[in-house]
Amino acid sequence: MGKYLLRRLLQLVVVSFVISVLAFLLVHLLPGDPTTTILGPNDTAANRAILMKQLGLDLPLWQQYLTWLGAIFQGNFGNSYLNHQSVTHILATGAPVDFELILISQTIAFSVAVPLALVTSRKPNRPLDNVSTTSTFGLLALPPFVVAPILVAVFAVGLGWFPATGYTPFTQSPATNIHQMILPSVAITAGSIAVYYRLLRSDLISTLQQDFITMARSKGLSSRRIMWRHAFRPSSFSLLAAAGINIGALIAGTFVVELLFAMPGIGYALVQAVEQRDYLVVQGIALVVAIAYVIIQFIIDFIFTIVDPRVVRE
Amino acid sequence: MAGIRVATTTQWGNHVTESNDISRRTFLSRGAAVGGAVVLAGAAGSALSACSTSSSSSSSTAAASGSKPGVGTGTPVRGGSLTVGTVAEVDGFYSPANHWDANGYLYALAIYDPLCAIAADGSIQPYLCQSITPNSTFDTWTMTLRPNIKFSDGSALTSAVVVSNYQVLNASLLTGQALTQITSVTAPDAMTVVYKLAAPNPGFAAGLTTQVGFVFGQAMIDAVKAGNSRPTPVGTGPFIYQSWEPNNHFTATRNPNYWRAGLPYLDQITYRPIPDTVQREATLKTGGIDMAMSTDPNTIKRFSGQTGYQVVDTLTGVLGEPSMAFIMLNTVVAPTNDLRIRQALAMSLDQATVQKIFGGGYAKPATGLFLSDSQYYSDTGYPKYNPAAAKKLVAAYAAEHGTPSLQLLTITDPRLAQVVQIIQQMWNQVGFDVTIGQVEQATIINDFIAGKFQAATSYQFGTIDPDLNYVWWSTTTAKPVGSIALNFARNSDPVIEQNMLTGRHSTDKAARVKAYQTVNEQLAKDLPYLWLEQYIFSEVATTRVQNFANPTLPSGAPQYAFNEGIFVPTQIWLAK
Repeated sequence: MGKYLLRRLLQLVVVSFVISVLAFLLVHLLPGDPTTTILGPNDTAANRAILMKQLGLDLPLWQQYLTWLGAIFQGNFGNSYLNHQSVTHILATGAPVDFELILISQTIAFSVAVPLALVTSRKPNRPLDNVSTTSTFGLLALPPFVVAPILVAVFAVGLGWFPATGYTPFTQSPATNIHQMILPSVAITAGSIAVYYRLLRSDLISTLQQDFITMARSKGLSSRRIMWRHAFRPSSFSLLAAAGINIGALIAGTFVVELLFAMPGIGYALVQAVEQRDYLVVQGIALVVAIAYVIIQFIIDFIFTIVDPRVVRE
Repeated sequence: MAGIRVATTTQWGNHVTESNDISRRTFLSRGAAVGGAVVLAGAAGSALSACSTSSSSSSSTAAASGSKPGVGTGTPVRGGSLTVGTVAEVDGFYSPANHWDANGYLYALAIYDPLCAIAADGSIQPYLCQSITPNSTFDTWTMTLRPNIKFSDGSALTSAVVVSNYQVLNASLLTGQALTQITSVTAPDAMTVVYKLAAPNPGFAAGLTTQVGFVFGQAMIDAVKAGNSRPTPVGTGPFIYQSWEPNNHFTATRNPNYWRAGLPYLDQITYRPIPDTVQREATLKTGGIDMAMSTDPNTIKRFSGQTGYQVVDTLTGVLGEPSMAFIMLNTVVAPTNDLRIRQALAMSLDQATVQKIFGGGYAKPATGLFLSDSQYYSDTGYPKYNPAAAKKLVAAYAAEHGTPSLQLLTITDPRLAQVVQIIQQMWNQVGFDVTIGQVEQATIINDFIAGKFQAATSYQFGTIDPDLNYVWWSTTTAKPVGSIALNFARNSDPVIEQNMLTGRHSTDKAARVKAYQTVNEQLAKDLPYLWLEQYIFSEVATTRVQNFANPTLPSGAPQYAFNEGIFVPTQIWLAK
């Protein structure tokens, strides 16, 4: 196990390095540069040259990269060219938004998808299963930018149960925070529920046809025990893999929801920074998000080893 | 109409860029300038006389009462907290380093005051200053500051601070470009500031209503010098900076020592950037905000006549030029370098259809830069919709050069994508071969600067004084493709140049009006811009919000109330 973890850790270091290079190069390869945003279009070439020099953007790319990387090793991700906020601060204030969105949305998704799959897989192609399958298929086709306005129209404007927009940090007011997080979380939950339900359902149906399940039934175990103790665990590999990918994608991938609900998450900050060619912000967020993604996959892999120890042996 | 907005400049002026709805810039678009700008016109003469008149006393009285939206009724109520939903976030409060778009001015008007402000009649009036007077040749301006004004940190407003402000603004790559006409700024005594100009400029005071005229405290300058690139804002304004969390909120609290006695009425004001228009409106309906700014004409449609809400917009009452949405044509690359092609494009663009679909039915036919109630308005002779004539022009061109093909460039915005698709159909129907290109905001601005486009969507030109648009139309700023040029369309017309200079230097009102009418008419002949519609700003507030469109100047005279989406928070109150 230790060797396995060590190997994955080494992979993490290599992947992080590659990501740092890509994040740096990709943003510099985009057309345009931050001087246009900073000075506006009505400035002179001389002023732009001066600003490029001041920002260190006149140096060769490799030199800029090494300077950036060196600063990161000292805990300095740099400052935004535009509002002069430190990237560390942007990450520190934005990450909780994304973290909460992911935590709440995934909790809802699992809470709905897993029990539903356990129930419907026992009696596939019955009315409940058909309704659930069709409904989740519909959910799959509903992107957050469609779901969000509907939720707001119904539950905020119509019923007045939730605020339409806004974000208050949990540390400032837990109740307000949770109240504000419900609608945006639900908006990004729909797709997750559909994916998780359909994957788990099909795996469960397959598992329930295995000999060991027949054996368990013949021993007189209750259906509930069979489902939770014997069928769920071996059926959860696809679910775990999908959750890993999905959660990773949601890190900074919730920008549409953040935009619609006016939440200062890192996804929204990243998109803004890309548009404004705010290099250091883009690079910093992209690096942290990518590393977080890799770490999540790392955790998922680790969970695999618990769910099925054969993974380590292999 | 969504579109980009690029900075409107003048000899003073870089003001800003407005980020639009995410629908567009918002994704951040940073574009342009808001008017804050200039003098009025007509009147350099009257403006100057107004400027040289010392204002009497500060006013804390509510302006005229009535049932007009945004005009307070009853006795002002002290206290309360106002929350305003804005269309985008700003990049900071330090004017030498940050762009102030409409949102930037909103924030700035809470914590700073300008040296001069625009009156409702368009004249430039003293605000922080008590008077500003030119010499006989208009190349030296002497300003006297109001006494006993203090910044939020307790320091006094003196001429030394104003000079210090000028020095850092002038040294800034961002704002220095707007100050090139000034050769020196001196402080002969504690309350007097003398500006010397390189050339006569009767409209000089107008620049002091813009970003470079908002005075910030010496403490901010010292903090920046000490290495703090985000100094805590220190101003003389009605509110004091409390907190700013970008993309979440900016909050300011009442300045208890504000120099305008009895003002402000509110205890606190909070601005919340909510980029999506529909969500901003939903937040207003659910009580999350008290006021909502908008650049979507449909907001007017959705809230006009609704019980419990009041709407103020820029459909009427615009001083000078409104911001205009248009298709910009590159006049030096084929095929748009051929006047017949530009005429055909104009004649085959059904403006009414575009306005009906995207202007919420509010926009009026646009044949030039000015609205029909403007003193500069004239019959420009702008081509009327005539697809049959357009077809003939295209056919004539095609006989010589083949089918004219061009790319219509726009930014990645859903509304603009629809606009360009409809226009593409209109143009293709008369014989063009039009393709659509979509790029990001930063890219399209670079393309404009370098002249790498044929036709492109844009919006621009909102300003009080047409002189502020000099750089966009001057022959001196029209360069070949590949060279940096602020005359993006590269329309080099000596008639326009001559009349813009006449407008700049003349102190005769009639001559100025005539000059700008000629410019407008000449643009309709040259056709570097195909007008789509006025860019409409609006503001919706619950009826509880009082007097948000009825500010007065320190002299008690009415102030220009809703300048390109900017309101003044000083005299707003909340009804009980």
